[in-house]
Amino acid sequence: MKGGIGGLLAVVTLAACQEKLTAPADCPALCPGGQPQVFDEVFTAISGADSSFVGYVQPHEAASLLVSNGLQGFEERGLVRFLARTGTVTVRDTARTYTIDSVAFSLTVAARDTNLAGLKLLLYRLTPSFDSTTTFADVAPAFIPDSLIATIDVPDSLNAGTVRTVFQGADLSRVEIPASDSGRLALGIRIDVPTATGVRLGALAGGTGPTFTTYVTLEVPDTGTAKLRTLPVGPSFNTYVSEVPQVVDSTLLAVGGAASARALLRFNLPSRIRDSASIVRATLELTAVAPVTGLPTDRPRLLGLAVLADVGAKSPLNSVLGRVAEDTLEIGTSTASLEAVRVVELWLGATTRPTALFLSLTPEAASFSRPVFYSTRAADPALRPRLRISYLLSFPFETP
Amino acid sequence: MRRALVLFLFAIVPIAVRAQSPQFGARGLGYPGRALAVRSIGTGGAFGLFDPESSQNPAALANVLNLTSVFTITQGFQKVRNPAGTASVRDTRFPQLMVAGPVHRFPAAVGFSFSNYTSRDFTFATAETIDLRGVPVGVVDTFSSRGGLNDFRIAGVYRFGARWAVGGGFHILSGSNRLTSTRVFDDPQYLSSRQRSELSFAGIGVSVGVTHQFAPNFAVSAVARSDGHVNLDRDSARVGTIDLPYTFGLGLHWRPAARLDIAGQTLVRTWSGANSDLLAQGGTGAQNTVEAAVGAEYTSDPKRPYRRPLRFGAHYATLPFPLLPGQHGREYGVSVGSGLRFAQQRAGLDLALEHVWRSEGAYSEKGFILSLGILVRP
Repeated sequence: MKGGIGGLLAVVTLAACQEKLTAPADCPALCPGGQPQVFDEVFTAISGADSSFVGYVQPHEAASLLVSNGLQGFEERGLVRFLARTGTVTVRDTARTYTIDSVAFSLTVAARDTNLAGLKLLLYRLTPSFDSTTTFADVAPAFIPDSLIATIDVPDSLNAGTVRTVFQGADLSRVEIPASDSGRLALGIRIDVPTATGVRLGALAGGTGPTFTTYVTLEVPDTGTAKLRTLPVGPSFNTYVSEVPQVVDSTLLAVGGAASARALLRFNLPSRIRDSASIVRATLELTAVAPVTGLPTDRPRLLGLAVLADVGAKSPLNSVLGRVAEDTLEIGTSTASLEAVRVVELWLGATTRPTALFLSLTPEAASFSRPVFYSTRAADPALRPRLRISYLLSFPFETP
Repeated sequence: MRRALVLFLFAIVPIAVRAQSPQFGARGLGYPGRALAVRSIGTGGAFGLFDPESSQNPAALANVLNLTSVFTITQGFQKVRNPAGTASVRDTRFPQLMVAGPVHRFPAAVGFSFSNYTSRDFTFATAETIDLRGVPVGVVDTFSSRGGLNDFRIAGVYRFGARWAVGGGFHILSGSNRLTSTRVFDDPQYLSSRQRSELSFAGIGVSVGVTHQFAPNFAVSAVARSDGHVNLDRDSARVGTIDLPYTFGLGLHWRPAARLDIAGQTLVRTWSGANSDLLAQGGTGAQNTVEAAVGAEYTSDPKRPYRRPLRFGAHYATLPFPLLPGQHGREYGVSVGSGLRFAQQRAGLDLALEHVWRSEGAYSEKGFILSLGILVRP
């Protein structure tokens, strides 16, 4: 009994020892040192030290193929070359010939304008000789009605997913591979819809490239039985070409596009901020030369990455999770703002890190948007890129 | 069994009352400690200059007859009021640790004690709306301090005959304030800000005391103390010094009957010496303080005076560090307490419950402070 009461006493005493010290503050009497003050200041990027660099991700390296019919005022078409389909299939250590029963093409719709009905994908037979240097003009002659092998109606209910077309019987002649092509088949893709729009299709780099599947029947004379086989083939190369080549203006800051562009911005923060400020918000503010275009339902994301060492276009970047500024870019907007406090924090204190950041667009080289912003070379200072920083200076702790 | 129940009741009663916190520790060096053991707290501090378990007077060590160690725990439950609102807070302190004993073959005693000199433990919070980038944004500011100044005393006393005792003490004053200012924004686009600073203090002081037994039932005690100054460092860099006060105290102890002890004392501290230093640091200055206490201890059995004595008393004190320049804080308190000795008086517990009121203009606190003293005589 005594032990129980002693234990209870100990528990009660411990419970009573819990501290709770917070009281309302009535300033200035109960605010030694005063109250924190937030300062707001705008810093323009260092004049002439901002640049765009092009060529980071090429169209054939992009995670999606862009196919459009004038979304940005010009057309884009996809090109796919599949791996070679073998002419025989080995069964019981013997190469067997086969008879093609049917052929199917599958394509992945990664993004589309879901408000638009009646989207059709047109597949054309192309000569499998294109590569990364091929231009729109090079392949345009092949996109003729005689080369059209299939039209795929994309269901209006499909936001993203796979569409497929199958050839069999007499239609197989459209996808017959001549011996001169060594088993390789190539397709050109464009879209057909009355309204200007675009569609992002899965690509080799994203692991969602088109597939070319052949369903065959093997002839196995030894047993007289027929064997069914499926011969799936993925793409060996894919890319897309634009009707209008990308224009690079060195006086402006472009991000995105294909080949993709990134912009480098350098700032000069005063030592009173770098040494002793506590930054609570940092917003990068950009003014677009023209309203941002693109698919309204497939908005790209603007990224801001801190530069670890400033060596220009090939500067190593800090891509640590949580230290990348990221925001969705609204289609039709003429201004862009990026909350970059986690990037700017890296510039503070005793560090030799450059006070610079890189802007890029994601998905890179796979977005219909290519925003172009004014640089520090803009005549109007209000149009130049700027960093708006909200910060607190060191708190003036009373002594005591 | 009955003792355990009494202890249980003492422990549980404060839970039923509301708690509170000392806003009067926000300025200057903080809220001053009283260097009292629980026996003296129970009498309002009236026996402080005669109590060998307290650290106010080195001459009081003359009453130490055996090696004794005392550990004190206090739990405060206070209600804070100021123009910004009210809050119930509670805090825990360990304000007094003492080890003392007689010197073999000499009419002398020595002791070591560790006392709370000032405490600066508080957290204040405000909420308001400020304009940022042209948009109203709600913010919550929190300013907190933890720490204070501690007084480590090495003291000795020598008895001259049966009536006189003269003591001296050497004090090492040290401590720190860990300060934190935090601002949190309602808008998640703003990161919260947390800034810290640490103040550290170091100084030394000396004290002398005397006790004279005029008659078997009447004694007078006096103390004088100089604490010099403390060096003040902020984040390891010297930023200045602060003068500490001289302390003068006088106490009277009268035993009108075998069962009753009555005492009273007053202490004066010249905190105004720190005024210019604190003003120069941006503070609100400091003022001299007066502390007066009166109390009594009633024993039901004079042959066994430690068998549940009844202690009671009251005290009044002015506070050294005003919240606003020109104001003067005051504190009133009434106390009640008792104690137990067991294991052939080799161990004991003392309990005291104090009700305090503090005020300075529109700022006030009131509440209860429960003190538990643990005594061991090995």
